[in-house]
Amino acid sequence: MAMLESVVSQGGSDGRDLHLRAFRYMLLARTLDEKLASLYRAGKIPGGGVYLGKGQEALSVSLGIHLRKGDVYAPLIRDGAGRLAFGETPLEAVRTCLGSPLGPMRSRDGNVHRGRPKDGYLPMISHLGAMISVVNGALMAKRYKGQRDMVGAAVIGDGATSTGASHEALNQAAVEKLPLVLMVADNQYAYSTPTSRQFACKSLVDRALGYGIRGWTVDGTDLAKCLDTIGQAVQEARSGGGPQLVVGCLLRLCGHGEHDDASYIDPLLKQAPFGRDALDVARTDLLTRGWVTQATLDQWHRQLAEEVDAAVAQAQRDPLPEAAAEKWNPLATSHLMDGQFEVSA
Amino acid sequence: MPQLGESIAEATVISYLCKEGDQVAADQDLLEVETSKATTTVTAPCAGKVVKWGARLNESYPVGAELGIISVTKEEAERLGISADRSGSLVAANSPGVHHQPEDPKHKPEVEPTVSGLPVPAHASGASYMSPRMKARMHDLGLHASDLAGIAGSGAGGRVTIKDFEQFIANIQKHKLSSASTMRVAVADAMRRSWSRPLATVGLPVNLEPVLAHRKTVEPKPGPALYALRALALALAENSAPAGRLVGNKIVHPPAIDIGFAVEAEDGVLVPVLRQADKINLRDLTERYNTLVDLARKRRLPPDATGGSIATVTNFGTFGLIWATPIPLPEQTLVLGLGAGRKAPFWDEAKQAFVPIMEANLTLSFDHRVLDGGAAGRLLSRIGALMGNPSAL
Amino acid sequence: MSITYLDAIREAQAKALALDSRVYIYGQDVGPFGGAFKATKGLAKEFPGRVMDSPISEDAMIGSAIGAAIEGMRPIIEMQFADFSTVGINQIINHAASFYWRTGVPIPLVVRLPSGGTPGSGPFHSQSLEALYAHYPGLVVMTPATVEDAYSMLLEAVAIDDPVIFCEHKYLYYHLKADALPTSAMPVGKARIAREGRDLTIVAYSAMVHEALAVAGELAQEGTEIEVVDLRTVKPLDTDTVMASVARTGRLLCVGEAFPWGGVTAEVIARVASEGFALLDAPPQRLNAKDTPIPFHPNLWAAHRPTAQSIVSAVRNLLAM
Repeated sequence: MAMLESVVSQGGSDGRDLHLRAFRYMLLARTLDEKLASLYRAGKIPGGGVYLGKGQEALSVSLGIHLRKGDVYAPLIRDGAGRLAFGETPLEAVRTCLGSPLGPMRSRDGNVHRGRPKDGYLPMISHLGAMISVVNGALMAKRYKGQRDMVGAAVIGDGATSTGASHEALNQAAVEKLPLVLMVADNQYAYSTPTSRQFACKSLVDRALGYGIRGWTVDGTDLAKCLDTIGQAVQEARSGGGPQLVVGCLLRLCGHGEHDDASYIDPLLKQAPFGRDALDVARTDLLTRGWVTQATLDQWHRQLAEEVDAAVAQAQRDPLPEAAAEKWNPLATSHLMDGQFEVSA
Repeated sequence: MPQLGESIAEATVISYLCKEGDQVAADQDLLEVETSKATTTVTAPCAGKVVKWGARLNESYPVGAELGIISVTKEEAERLGISADRSGSLVAANSPGVHHQPEDPKHKPEVEPTVSGLPVPAHASGASYMSPRMKARMHDLGLHASDLAGIAGSGAGGRVTIKDFEQFIANIQKHKLSSASTMRVAVADAMRRSWSRPLATVGLPVNLEPVLAHRKTVEPKPGPALYALRALALALAENSAPAGRLVGNKIVHPPAIDIGFAVEAEDGVLVPVLRQADKINLRDLTERYNTLVDLARKRRLPPDATGGSIATVTNFGTFGLIWATPIPLPEQTLVLGLGAGRKAPFWDEAKQAFVPIMEANLTLSFDHRVLDGGAAGRLLSRIGALMGNPSAL
Repeated sequence: MSITYLDAIREAQAKALALDSRVYIYGQDVGPFGGAFKATKGLAKEFPGRVMDSPISEDAMIGSAIGAAIEGMRPIIEMQFADFSTVGINQIINHAASFYWRTGVPIPLVVRLPSGGTPGSGPFHSQSLEALYAHYPGLVVMTPATVEDAYSMLLEAVAIDDPVIFCEHKYLYYHLKADALPTSAMPVGKARIAREGRDLTIVAYSAMVHEALAVAGELAQEGTEIEVVDLRTVKPLDTDTVMASVARTGRLLCVGEAFPWGGVTAEVIARVASEGFALLDAPPQRLNAKDTPIPFHPNLWAAHRPTAQSIVSAVRNLLAM
C-alpha cells in the first residue's frame, strides 16, 4: 500500500487537508478498535490479547502522519491510528490479531506485534523500550548509506520510560546525534500503576535536559495541537536538530487490555482536561471550524465501518495455520539448522 | 540384628529369652529368631542390663536393625572398645557413672531413602552386565548371554567389553565354521531358556520284570517307556501339582494330563504329545504312540500333535545309557527319563538269595523352584510302583 | 611469522571491513583505543567511521545493530566480556534471534564474546555462555578453538545472514599461535577430528580442545589412543561426527569449561544417549566446571574448571568401566 505524503501542518488548505486526513485515520482507528473489542468478547482472538488505543488517537496519528517513505517507525500498543497513517491496512491489523497465516507475521506473532521491517515499519517486541535502539540503528545505517532527511520515530508510554533499555537508547541517540523522535504517551497509568509510582520528576520532559536533547510537551487530546507540535518536532529532527523528546499528556480511556476493566483509574482524572476523548474533541473542532458537516461525518463513519467489516470478513475467511505445513526453521541459513529434536521412530 | 548367615538379609523374632530389666552376661542368648534357613538366637554383645526391647514378636527385622537397648558400665564399654554413641544395637543409656548421649535438639531426623544402593551397572561386579553396544552387536549376530560364557572379560568386575567381544568374534572367524541348522538353533534356544531355572534330578532303579511279563501278553507291544509314560500320567492325575508351572508366586496347575515324548529326528528332538494320557488305556495309547513316532521320524507331524504337553518322557536307554539328566522343556517342570534295561542282582527276601532281574533307572529332572527333592522322590516312587502293576495301566 | 588467535580475529575483521562496505564494528573502546584486548587495533584508523565507540549500553548496542541489520548493514558488536552480554541479553535472544522467524527478514549481525577464564579474572570476567545462547532458537553459536578457525569462522560469521554469537576464548588470545592464516576452511557446522583415536572419544570445544589434546598425548604413551572431537560450533552441533566417533570408540567423555547444568556437554550426551545408545560400551560421561561462580584466586580457579589432570582422571575412570 502506497504511503501518503505528509505535509507539515501550516493552517492553510494544506493544513486543513492534513487535519482532515488525520481525523479520518483517528476515526478508522477507533472503529477498528471497537471491532477488535467485540471480536475479543466473542472469543475470536487467540490468547485474548487486545490492546486498544482509545484516547491516544490524536497523539498517535500526529506522529504517523508526519512520517514519509524512507523514515523508520516503531509504534507501540496504542498506536493504531499512527500505524494506519504510516500505511498499514485494517486487513493487516485484523489478520495479525486473528493470527492468520496471510498476515504480515504469518501466525508466528500476533496482535500488536506487527510490522513490515523492509518498509521501515518495525514490529514491536514486548520488552518495553527495546524498540528505540533499533530505530537508532536503522538511522545510523541510513546515515552511513548516505540517506538524508530521514526521521526515526518511536513511541513509548510513561511506564516504559523506567526501563534501562529506553534510557540507554535515548542516551545513545543523543550521543550519535540521530534524527530520532521519541514520543512519550503519558496516559497516567502503566497497566494499574499510576505515574506517581513510575517517576519522581515533575514531568517526563524534564529528562530531555539530562540527555542533552530538545523536549516538547503537548496536550494529547487536541488534534490540532498534536499535529502542530509533533510536526515541528519531526521537522526539527529531520533537519539535523538531533533527538526530540515529545511528551503528550492524556488519559488512557480503556483498560490496559480488553481483559482489564481499569477500575483502578482515579475517577477524578476523567474530569480533568486531559481526560477528554480526543476523538470527540476533534469531531467537535471540525464541526466548529466548518470543515465538515454532520452528514459528512456520518458518511465517513459508515464508510470506515464498512471498510473495517470487509477487512474482518476477509480475514475470517483466511485458512488456519497448519503446524505440519510450517517450516520450523528459525534461521535464514537453512543448512545451519541444528539437528532434529523430534523423537525418531 | 547381626548377620546370621551369608545370604541372610533379615530374620523374624519368635521369642524373647529374657525380659526388660534383666542383667545379662556377654554372649547370653537374648532373642530367638527365625531366618529362611534356620531358627537361631541373637546373643548379648556384652554384659549389661536390658533396658528396653525395640523388637516385636513375629516381626521381621533386617540385618543392622536395632532390636533393643542394653545399658553398660563405663568399664564394660571401655573393655570392649565400644564408643558411647548410638551404634548398632547398643547404646550407653542413663545409668549412674555411665556415658550418656543426650538427644541433640539440633539433629534433624534424616530422610530415609526409599531405594538404596541402586546398581550402577558399569561398576557392578559380575560378568553379566552387557553394555547397550554389546547387546546391539549380539542381537545382530543372534547371540545370547550364554554364548559369552568362557569369554574372559577385561571390563569392571570381569564384564565382557565390546573389545573383548569383537576379539572373540574375530578369533572364532579363524576356525572352521559351519552353519547350524534351524532345528539346532531352535533347540539351543529352548535349552538355554530352560537352563535359566535351577534344575535337579532324582533317580530310582525300577524292576522291569512285571513290565516285560505284561508285554508278552499284549499286541501291539508297548515299549517300556510307554509304560513309564502311562504311569506318569496316572501319578499326575492323582496329584498334578508337581507338573505345575511357577509364574511369579503362583503355581499354574496343568489343565489336562497331556504328556509328550521325545523322538530323535535329524540333529534335533521332536516332542509329539499324547493327549489326556491319564484317560486312555495302554493299548489305545500304544497305537497313537506308534503313529506319532512314525510321523515324527518322517518330519510329518501335524501342528496340533506337538505343543501343550505338561511333562515329557524320554527313553535315553535306547542309546544304551543307564543314566542321564535330561533338561525339561522350557515351558515344563518335569522330564521323566528311562535308562537302558540290564540284568542286575535283586535280593529276594523270600529266597534269601540274589536273583537276576531286568532293571532300569528312572530319572526325574525337575524345576527345583516348583518342587523339592521330597516331592520329586514321591512322584518317582509312585511311578515305579505303578510300573510294578502294569495290567492296571 | 607467528599469528596469535587474537591477531587472527583482528585480521578477519579487517578483511571483512575491506571486502564489504556494509560491515561495521561497534562496541566499548573499540575505536581509537583498539578494544580492551586490542582485537580492533588500528582498524578505526584504517576504516574511518566504521569502527565506533559505543556508550556502555549493551542493550542499545545490540538493539541498534538489529535496526542497522534490518537496513542492510552487517554489524559486528564487540562485547567487552561475555559476562556483560547478559545486560543486553534481551535484545539478543528475544529480538535478534526471533526476528527472522517472526518477520522473514534476516538479521545478519555478529556478537563477539570474549569468553572463558584466565588466572585471576574472577566471576565476572571468565564466563562461557555458549549454552545460554544456544538454548534460544534463531542463533548460530561458534566456539573456535584454533587460530585458523578464529579467522575463517569469524569471516563466515559476518557472511551468514543470521545472528551469530562468536565465543572467543580470552586465554587463547595470546597463548595460541599459528604459522599462517588459513586459505581454506571446513564448513561452519562441521566438527573436526582434532586427533584420531580408538579407545575413547573426548568431545570438547574452545580452549578445552587443547587440554584434551594434551591428555591424549600423555595417555598415548601408555598405549591408549584417545580421539578428540573439536565441535567448532556449538549450534548447530555436528551430531553426525560425534556419533561416528563414538561408533569407533564406544566410550564418550564430553568436556566443557562452562557450568554443568544444561551445558553443551549435557546436550551432546543427550543426543548420543538417545540416537546412539547402541554405540555405547560404557555410560557417557561429562566434565564441566563446578556448579559455583568462578573463583578469583588462581588456586581455586584451577580446581574449578576441567584441567588436563582432571580430564586424565575422568578418562581413566571411563576406561575402567
